[in-house]
Amino acid sequence: MDEAIKNLTMRKSFGKSMLYTLPMFLLTFILMTGGRPDFSDRSGTIALLTTFLGLNILYFLMHYTGKTDKLRAILFIVFALTLSFTLIKNTIDIRQTMTYSQGDILECNMPFCHLVIPMLILPAAFTQSIIYPGSILGGFASISAMVVLWLAASVILGRGFCSWGCFYGGWDDGFSRFRKKPAIRKISDSWKWMPFAVLLMVALTSALALTPTYCDWMCPFKAVTEFEEVTGIESAAKAGIFISLFGGFVVVLPVLTKKRTQCSYLCPLGAINTLSNKVSPFIVKIDKQICNDCYKCVQACPMFALTNDDVKKGSVSIFCTKCGKCIDACPKQAIHYGIVGVPANRMVKFSRNIFLFVSFLFIAIFASGSIITVVKSFVNLFI
Amino acid sequence: MLDSFILGLSSGSTCLFTCGMVIFPYLMAGTAGTRKIITDLSLFLLTRFLVYFILATLAFYFGKVIFTSPVFRNYISGILYMLFSGMLIWYAISRSRKPDCPAKIVETVHNRKLVPVFLGVVNSLGFCPALMLILTKSATEGTIVQSYLAFLGFFAGTALYFIPVPLAGKIRRKKVFETIGVMATGIAGIIFMIKGLTSLIGGIIYG
Repeated sequence: MDEAIKNLTMRKSFGKSMLYTLPMFLLTFILMTGGRPDFSDRSGTIALLTTFLGLNILYFLMHYTGKTDKLRAILFIVFALTLSFTLIKNTIDIRQTMTYSQGDILECNMPFCHLVIPMLILPAAFTQSIIYPGSILGGFASISAMVVLWLAASVILGRGFCSWGCFYGGWDDGFSRFRKKPAIRKISDSWKWMPFAVLLMVALTSALALTPTYCDWMCPFKAVTEFEEVTGIESAAKAGIFISLFGGFVVVLPVLTKKRTQCSYLCPLGAINTLSNKVSPFIVKIDKQICNDCYKCVQACPMFALTNDDVKKGSVSIFCTKCGKCIDACPKQAIHYGIVGVPANRMVKFSRNIFLFVSFLFIAIFASGSIITVVKSFVNLFI
Repeated sequence: MLDSFILGLSSGSTCLFTCGMVIFPYLMAGTAGTRKIITDLSLFLLTRFLVYFILATLAFYFGKVIFTSPVFRNYISGILYMLFSGMLIWYAISRSRKPDCPAKIVETVHNRKLVPVFLGVVNSLGFCPALMLILTKSATEGTIVQSYLAFLGFFAGTALYFIPVPLAGKIRRKKVFETIGVMATGIAGIIFMIKGLTSLIGGIIYG
């Protein structure tokens, strides 16, 4: 048995890890520079190279140490923080304030984010119109670019998008790591269906009111991006809701439960991404021949995707975001990334290598823009 | 009457918006076949009809002054929304409790007939622009019969949107759908609570 576990360890030698990092090294360089590197701007060059090296070091370490989650989380959290910074900086540059007015809505000046997607589907189907006041093709964060990116990532990664592509997930992922042990342990399993209830409500209300109601009333991340100018009771109530939801679901509950509560209980896109797990070729598998039912993976899972029953059955639920935390927590290496159709304990290393390559490439390219912007702003303070 | 019917038809989607976010999750929470849904829907429509009947009478005798007062509108709709929200939240909580809960109030709210009745009241007293138009029209009609007919036309126009609702009874019942429906009903309750609070506070401040 020990020999089998030893064979399953994901650690690689230094040379082998370098070899596995080489394709990522080349691809990220080409994609981050657009194939035409321009080193004329000093601070831009420093920011680009720092980001590029940082990303590739993280990827190298994933192979070298055999660990996934902590290294992914570093990039994921940095992505969330830098994107909020970039978004706030952009809105302040354009509007001189973090708030938006009715005029910005009428002029369709709102940057689009993937959380709006569930609200677009029904109105688009029934009225052939897009109800979000953003730009379809041009401008900063256009609707078409975000929808295409999300679709591609969801088909390939399934709900892995929530741990490898979402630029908000890093917030509650970060706060869920503050404590060593959770203060709240007993939470009813049925709460995991809450995002579907939120999805149902926002899809219905958006289709009937023809406005993106989640963005208008419920999005906790308005507190760290942009929000409606407070001009009356309603806008003041909205601002209060955004701050309360951010404080509750993104800060306090993740700290107390060590779970990503916003992603698990509130996000309507998370519900759709849960369904996309059905089409993704990648899956997390449990090898029941090795598993000793210690349930450390259940405690580790930040998404309520693993229960004792799931472990007994030998399969993770469709709520899994493929973050890799359970894989790293397993003392027997009984849990691993796998490919649909391939039995557990087969092609384990191959599956992990392919999944890591695809998912890391996605987050690296997606995140690099905002990281470079922040590093550049930081470098400019000193140059 | 025809113009009221057309007004109802054109603004019926607004009524559906108010009710849709309650009626769909509510039906999901306890989908029990087409017959049960028809009963619920009938109760809902009957309540709306009765409230409209009362409104038509009040509008005719007391004139448009009361109904067009923003303070009156804010207070009435605010209080109604809050009452209804409390009921929805309690309904969601009681549905997730054990059936042998000894608290009497749980059983009272658990009573399925109450939700469609209350929904009918809230929906009728939504004070949307179309209803304000009908109230004004009704107040200026020559006879009370004409006032009733104006409301009847409006009721018929808006009620048409609810005809497909019993089709939901054909959906196969699943525990998961029920759980999602109960949770969504609770969320709808919170939305109505916020709507009610903003309406009330708005009425107090701007009144």
